[in-house]
Amino acid sequence: MDRVNFRAKVLTGHLKNHHNSTIDLLHTAQCVNYSPPELCEPPSAFNTKALRKLLDGESMDEIDYIFNLMIQSDLFCPRERGGKVFISPDFNKSMEHQREMTMKRINYLREQGAFDGWLTRKGPDAERSGFTRGITFGVYDHSLGIKLGVHFFLWGGAIQFMGTKRHQDKWLKPTETYEVIGCFAMTELGHGSNVRGIETITRYDASTQEFIITTPCESAQKYWIGGAANHATHAVVFSQLKINGVNQGVHAFIAQIRDANGNICPNVRIADCGHKIGLNGVDNGRIWFDNLRIPRENLLNSVADVSPDGQYSSAIKDPDQRFAAFLAPLLSGRVTIAAGSMNITKIGLAIAVRYSLSRRAFSIRPNEPEVLLLDYPSHQRRLLPLVAKTYALSFASEYLKNIYVNRTRQSIKTVHVVSSALKATSTWHGMRTLQECREACGGQGLKTENHVGHLKSEFDVQLTFEGDNYVLMQQISKALLKEILAAKRRNKPVKGLGLEHLNKPAPIIPSHLTSSALRTAQFQTDIFCLRERDLLHRFETEVSQREARGESMEHIFTVTYQIAEDLGRAFSDRLVLQTFLDVEATVPAGSLKDVLGLLRSMYTTIVMEEDASFLRYGYLSTDNAAVVRKEVLKLCSEVRPHALALVTSFGIPDALLGPIAFNWIDANAWSSVKDNDTIKDNDTVFSFFSNML
Amino acid sequence: MAPTSQVLTKHSSNVRTIILNRPQQLNALTLEMVSQLLELLNAYEEDPSVKLVIMKGEGRAFCAGGDVAALANGSWKQGAVFFSRAYTIDYLVATYAKTQVSLIRGIAMGGGAALAIHGRFRVVTDNTLFAMPETALGSFPDVGSSYYLSRLPGFFGEYVGLTGARLDGAEMLACGLATHFVPLEKLSLLEDALCKANTGDPEIINNIIHDFSNKNPKLKEKSHYFRLKTINSCFSRRTVEEIISALEEEEADRNMDDWISWTIQALKKASPTSLKISLRSIRAGRLQGVRQCLIREYRIFCTILQGKVCKDFFEGCRALLLDKDKNPKWEPSKLELVSKQMVDSYFAPLDDEDWEDLKLPVRPNLTSYAISKL
Repeated sequence: MDRVNFRAKVLTGHLKNHHNSTIDLLHTAQCVNYSPPELCEPPSAFNTKALRKLLDGESMDEIDYIFNLMIQSDLFCPRERGGKVFISPDFNKSMEHQREMTMKRINYLREQGAFDGWLTRKGPDAERSGFTRGITFGVYDHSLGIKLGVHFFLWGGAIQFMGTKRHQDKWLKPTETYEVIGCFAMTELGHGSNVRGIETITRYDASTQEFIITTPCESAQKYWIGGAANHATHAVVFSQLKINGVNQGVHAFIAQIRDANGNICPNVRIADCGHKIGLNGVDNGRIWFDNLRIPRENLLNSVADVSPDGQYSSAIKDPDQRFAAFLAPLLSGRVTIAAGSMNITKIGLAIAVRYSLSRRAFSIRPNEPEVLLLDYPSHQRRLLPLVAKTYALSFASEYLKNIYVNRTRQSIKTVHVVSSALKATSTWHGMRTLQECREACGGQGLKTENHVGHLKSEFDVQLTFEGDNYVLMQQISKALLKEILAAKRRNKPVKGLGLEHLNKPAPIIPSHLTSSALRTAQFQTDIFCLRERDLLHRFETEVSQREARGESMEHIFTVTYQIAEDLGRAFSDRLVLQTFLDVEATVPAGSLKDVLGLLRSMYTTIVMEEDASFLRYGYLSTDNAAVVRKEVLKLCSEVRPHALALVTSFGIPDALLGPIAFNWIDANAWSSVKDNDTIKDNDTVFSFFSNML
Repeated sequence: MAPTSQVLTKHSSNVRTIILNRPQQLNALTLEMVSQLLELLNAYEEDPSVKLVIMKGEGRAFCAGGDVAALANGSWKQGAVFFSRAYTIDYLVATYAKTQVSLIRGIAMGGGAALAIHGRFRVVTDNTLFAMPETALGSFPDVGSSYYLSRLPGFFGEYVGLTGARLDGAEMLACGLATHFVPLEKLSLLEDALCKANTGDPEIINNIIHDFSNKNPKLKEKSHYFRLKTINSCFSRRTVEEIISALEEEEADRNMDDWISWTIQALKKASPTSLKISLRSIRAGRLQGVRQCLIREYRIFCTILQGKVCKDFFEGCRALLLDKDKNPKWEPSKLELVSKQMVDSYFAPLDDEDWEDLKLPVRPNLTSYAISKL
């Protein structure tokens, strides 16, 4: 029915939109016309498909297939604006309605087989496909992406990585088919990033061979648990495990929290987290356990187990290492966030850049046409560096996906550090980009249908979940420090994490930088390495001085946060540059390679201009910093002709962008207002067909 | 008006009627016809005295499509010339600045259907018969159909494009391929009324057609359109293989369902290579504009004509149009033998010095209705 109405609406729209003869009389007065950027901009200097292939690689077909599935279903709320169809959730509906729509969309996608093999297929390709799905559904609606992410990556991932065969055999298939709906009960009111501090307690009753889960106090209530408020039937519950009075640390258990009819189980209490600034399509809830009994087999026992008579055993003796092993599922979450952030960023930039290529403001001389927004150097400076950085971070997140799906026991540490770095860097970049895009679109950026503004609140949580960004930055620095100290102790060169450059002499930065020097990969690599090297050295010095003064390590890391953050960023930036160069190396000489070189220079130059550490620690002299600033202006004007092609290569379908990315005049014309009345008449005309569907 | 002309025109003050006039061959398009159409459409668009353009076919068909049998014989470069002109017409119609009405009587297939469907007002009637039958011929639904098929409700477009299912006027109206259904006996009255109105105002034209039309033509009892639910659940699958196995599952669930059996048979009779190209093309079309769709389809058709990857098109023409033994021998003969690399090669630029991508004219006044009609 909806589909037919919708078609009727579209058709009526065409009939009403144009060539109104009375309006022709007014054409003597100059009106602002919409002119599609495709017609005014120079043809692309490079193959946009080839560039998209560098971003999406082998996943391209799967991504487009998912877009097809979403665009063709009425559940995704297609709407006509200015002659084009857009799909987007109705954010004007109540929280409850949004949640139910998320679930309906999931059911539809499941019926089309979109989740087949997500958890039951094994190997790098299957894992890559899982990422592709999770991330691409999120392009439509972050709530949809998160709701699926919780179910597949967190709940499913916990069973895959923390459970053993008995759990995998029992739970993975029904999870894929949604007979079981999972959630991930880790965070508590009193403890978030500090998972080891959670207060939920689980004891063992050997007489019945059951675990008993208890919420001992209000701060131990599980909080923000996605899926818990309405839909989840099962939870992975993180809890301290007390065996014979000894606390064995945090362990994970499977607990059923609802029956098949959706009734909350006895000894479980669930409450809603309420309306949020975004993500209202996800039912975040709170859970209390009142001595809930679960079978002994429900302990996810990949690293530790409890025997029927209540004896605790673990293959990993070191509680630190055991804890790290427990957190494995969070790793895939970070990979998803890093890559997913880039999608959101691409949406924002595609909309803002397209708008800036069709919207004009102010004439330079009287009676001349107004100037296109993106022809203002200041507007270029606002948007184009963000485009370059999005490419850089997208290449890096592709690299992260690759090292994740091909991880080994040896490489897991690298995955950990790289995922922390990119999760933080990408989400910060995403948030900043959306704000800039919002402002660049002016008032139109405030309309929900134009996405850029609304996406900010949908996206904001990424900076917090799976590890607060600042906490992650400090973790990176700690890991780097550990790495070089271990190498020193063993008296061996540093290896791994891209730190090999530390074994060479420090690079020399020319005292008088030139524009051409700024654009060489050599200089860019040198200065990024120099910054990382120097900051690591400063960090090491400060830590060891404080250690000599007898300060505790915990205390030292809390007071050295400034340099730790600088170092975390330096590591990320150098890593991103390295992956960019690796991608460039795969491209044959030609226009595409040239554009990539331009984007890389834009990325590195903007990092140097914006990060105070280059001046603070003297990697750039004030003279050189002035050269850098000038170069930014030049680079912007050189990237400008490629702007449209660069956002086209992002590969986000038109239907998922906002109306201001296209004919925003027609989208706002009076006739489109009138359409809303005629729709009602058509309901009766077309109701005949609705009976058949 | 030359009596032998394959395209006739009729002038009535500010209205021009274009009549496809090759009735013995069901108005199948020849190179001469496409060249003439291109010229006419361009001229009418520029001529300020023309307000409305009507298109129709002489005899019992609107247009049965391109005269492909002739093409299969010539060199691929001759074929490329034909298609570049035919696709340019489709683009012109899709982006036409003037109001345009197609009166679709009888058969409208392949390129013939596209002439009308890209236009603004598509009037169908009791004996209208639409199909995109290319996969049975070793070809694929082209002429910009990856644009309009992909915009039909749900996955109906995949169904119509892959199976070559025939739709009547009522079904075309229901799925959006047509904008109006006018009973056969009123069709010439409508034409007269349009000429008499002598206006290009789309709202007035719409009201006139509306007055003659049957708003609720009854769908026949066995209409494909009643199967939309099954079509959506099967034809939304990722690959042709998965579509067929989903259909077979449905078949197993119900006894003796003629429609499902027919659908499976249609897919099994079609060229496996064609099916894979077609599905991929429709899916790509869903994410693209009509211009990009035509450019992609042109690449595909030139690759087909070049015959380096697969010769199914020539085999299909032989079996269905020339020898008429209706028993084409497809090569590769099975879906699983058609590799991804093979399919990929149809979507890439041709490996030939003389070849270049389709150059479509720049259309400066693209109005929004010209971007999306369905």
